[in-house]
Amino acid sequence: MEPLIGMGVLALIGVAATIAGASEDLESDVGSQSNPNSQVQLAPQMMFPHRIYNKAVSGEPPSNALMCSVGAAVATVLISEFTLSPLFALVIGALVAACVHGTFAVTSTMGRAASQRRFKQPVYLDMIRSHTPVIMGYAFITTFCILIVSYLMTVVLGHPFPLTMLAFIWGITVGAIGSSTGDVHYGAEREFQQFEFGSGLNASNSGNIVRYGESGVRNGYDNSWFCAKFGGPVTGIAFGMTVFLGSWVTTVFDPAVSLTRGWFSVVAGVIIVLILIIWNWKIEVKARNAFGPYKEDKTEEASA
Amino acid sequence: MIDALLDNIVSMIYIILGGVLISWSVHFVPVGGAPAAMAQATGIGTGTVQLAAGAGLTGLVSAGFMMNVTDNLPLILASGAVGAMIMIAVTMIVGTWVYVYGVGCVPSSAKVKVDPITKYRQDLYVSQGTEGHGLPTVSFVSGVIGGLLGGIGGALVYYALIEVGLKAGLTAGTSSSVTGHELVGIAAMFAIGIFFVNAVIPSYNIGGTIEGFHDPKWKKWPKAVISSFVATILCAVVAVIAISQLGVI
Repeated sequence: MEPLIGMGVLALIGVAATIAGASEDLESDVGSQSNPNSQVQLAPQMMFPHRIYNKAVSGEPPSNALMCSVGAAVATVLISEFTLSPLFALVIGALVAACVHGTFAVTSTMGRAASQRRFKQPVYLDMIRSHTPVIMGYAFITTFCILIVSYLMTVVLGHPFPLTMLAFIWGITVGAIGSSTGDVHYGAEREFQQFEFGSGLNASNSGNIVRYGESGVRNGYDNSWFCAKFGGPVTGIAFGMTVFLGSWVTTVFDPAVSLTRGWFSVVAGVIIVLILIIWNWKIEVKARNAFGPYKEDKTEEASA
Repeated sequence: MIDALLDNIVSMIYIILGGVLISWSVHFVPVGGAPAAMAQATGIGTGTVQLAAGAGLTGLVSAGFMMNVTDNLPLILASGAVGAMIMIAVTMIVGTWVYVYGVGCVPSSAKVKVDPITKYRQDLYVSQGTEGHGLPTVSFVSGVIGGLLGGIGGALVYYALIEVGLKAGLTAGTSSSVTGHELVGIAAMFAIGIFFVNAVIPSYNIGGTIEGFHDPKWKKWPKAVISSFVATILCAVVAVIAISQLGVI
């Protein structure tokens, strides 16, 4: 393939991946999934009943992998058996996946809230009715973008993996990234805003999540509104960077041309990783200087 | 069936070696589980299996692409390693952004007093009631090593399975259809399965959180590696027989 076309396709893949990452994180914020949901689940038991959607279908990677695989399987059948145009097939696939995800979301939040009856946690039907379409909407965007990434990689860039396999792998990856980056903003900051900024969550405050919003009782919308300012976009950048940089090194240094070029692509990847290590170290030093030590150095005092 | 196993003994060794490498790699990945998602423990705020699988499978995508154009084993392994390293390094750097700029805490470890790489004091920066937070340099480097080993392991398993299929007369490589070649799909499925088996076994050792190679829990790795060795032998037997029988039909 012409290198320029390859770069263009790669740019498109990067954009789709960025949107997928951002919507994946916001989907897990509005519906409260993954690790921060442990606090939402714990709150009623600590006598803090709340009005936050409580769906942890599973960990984020398996649930996104399921969504993307369902979408890709439907799309594959429509493309190969019914010769439907790929764009329609991907949209229908994503739609089916969003419906499947919506079903899981409703059953899990109802089950979880109902099982906490003894802690006086109500089942807010209006909250379930209003939040589920939003969750399905985000799920649709995530699945559709992942399907676009997988389709372009399979058909245009000539990746040997079948569409469903690639969608499964990118589903696992987007879930792993969303759960490790954007969810921290939701779990460590948004859920515990009433405590001092920068302190992390003191174990003794577990379960004491913020239950009142800027106006009225806080719900999943308020959480996604807040996380859309930082957590969601950075998750998008993370997933976009992963997909883009992973393919960029082999597009610029095409191993199909010669073996030496293949090794150049490996060297380029290692250089990227080294730059990221140094960047992390710089941020660490900056944070240490800006936020300062939290405790006094007792060993120095003792020696003095 | 015994013939199929004996014919593919080198591939079996590769698969087992790959499985053992994956198992070892998981010990390097700094995961803090649910507490880390609330800035309550050092590491990345997600589960062991999930992150290791996310990185390793990204490496598998890179290795699969590389295998399409070359059959040079070191290059395939290196590209798998680079794919996994990039994924985990990007995840960790963005995680650091969130911990420092979004949550406002200093990357610090509660398991060691000084960072073995930068020699910075750690205990003074751990806030009250937590067991550290964020990703200090040592955890970041450890995570990259984990990605490297996991990527090599996943690529090795995939390479070996494709070799078994090619020997049995199946075809691999680029396909213009979305369904791809039968062999590629099945080899990738087995590779992912073997990856998950070997990512789950070490998580019993880790018990939810590990900070990297400086964590005392890291020293327990031989137990997980031996368990993975046994488990991967069984996986390899099933995978090799299944793929080689596919060629007979």
